[in-house]
Amino acid sequence: MLELTHELGNVVLTGAFTDPLAAAALATGLAALGAGYAEGGIGAAAVGAMAEDEDLFVNGLILTVLPETLVILALVVVFIAQSA
Amino acid sequence: MSAAGRSNPEYVVARVRARRGRLYGDEQYRKLVRMGPSEIARFIEESGYEAEINALGSRHSGVDLIEYALNRNLAKQFDAILDWSEGRLYDLIARYLRKFDAWNVKTVIRGVYTDTDADDIEVDLIRAGEFDDRRIRRLLEADSIDAIVEVLEDTIYGDPLREAYAEYEETGVLVPLENAVDMAFYERLLSGLGGDAPTRQYRRFLEAEVDFRNATNALRLARSGADLDPAEYFIEGGTLLTRDTLARLARSVDELVEHIGESEYADDLGPALRDLEESDSLIEFEHAADTALLAYGDRLGVVHPVSVTPVISYILAKEREVENIRAIARGTEAGLSADEIESELVIT
Repeated sequence: MLELTHELGNVVLTGAFTDPLAAAALATGLAALGAGYAEGGIGAAAVGAMAEDEDLFVNGLILTVLPETLVILALVVVFIAQSA
Repeated sequence: MSAAGRSNPEYVVARVRARRGRLYGDEQYRKLVRMGPSEIARFIEESGYEAEINALGSRHSGVDLIEYALNRNLAKQFDAILDWSEGRLYDLIARYLRKFDAWNVKTVIRGVYTDTDADDIEVDLIRAGEFDDRRIRRLLEADSIDAIVEVLEDTIYGDPLREAYAEYEETGVLVPLENAVDMAFYERLLSGLGGDAPTRQYRRFLEAEVDFRNATNALRLARSGADLDPAEYFIEGGTLLTRDTLARLARSVDELVEHIGESEYADDLGPALRDLEESDSLIEFEHAADTALLAYGDRLGVVHPVSVTPVISYILAKEREVENIRAIARGTEAGLSADEIESELVIT
């Protein structure tokens, strides 16, 4: 994580955003950040619901990982950038 | 857990919604009104009150058992909600639940005033507020009203009680003390409430509650014709009445009814107000006020799904359930018919 931040700093400082791969990496990272934020809330609610009714475990799990699709979609950007 | 840290409405709301689904509905109430006290006890034991009925079953029986089990379950549920909440959410919920602290303080004061046994006082307490077990134990151990005031020294009730105590010593009646407790509670209820949308909605609900309380008090005073100063009983914070209008209107029922009829609550309370003009009973009006508050509470829960409002909505619904079951149990004990009991229930 720390090296990544360093790398990101470098990229921004040297103005290397013309490199499509760097931009794609940034996009993926931001998407992951958003997904994490969303999962925080959903996870808290899912655990609350599970505490009341254990049968909700499967539903809770599915709903919790749902924002993960964001990252998968963002990953597509990397491949597009690579082939470009 | 405490007022520190970020608030966590997601967790609390998820748990509370699950519990709300388990509250009794029309169907169950219809069954309950046709039961005797022991059947009611068995029915609630099988549907969520098992631990309480078991714990109290050996010491109490009949309607008392039901009532104490209900109180204890209410306290347990609300304590749990406070336990889960953090940050601002805790503050907002605690504001409302402090009314049980006020209730407990008043119960203990009355108990000491009438020389009741500490054990007898204890079963009437609802340990749902912010006071911890230690403070409650110290309250129960207090053997004079002076000692109670001392125990509460470092709480919000400390200063007002100290002032009211002087008046109590002069007159020997409890009214100033009880008033002081109520005032301290209502003062804290609305002060420093922040400004985001869910909180504003919550605030409107609290104001409606204060308004209805003021209106009911005023109607009672006007009806009884007693020579009491209505301004003494006025609670700050509502929008319907001010101290001056209350003092003016409390002298005549008709003017008061007219004033309420012209307010924003006219839609909710209209039919009850017409009844009030025709008949002599205040019960209809108090019922309508309760139903309006409950309906508002239900609406409260859906507009801002991830905020304090669904939690408050649940708290109201749970309180109402406990009051309904209590009314059913007491009604059956008194030999009322099923229809009569049903008319006493507040169901939306």
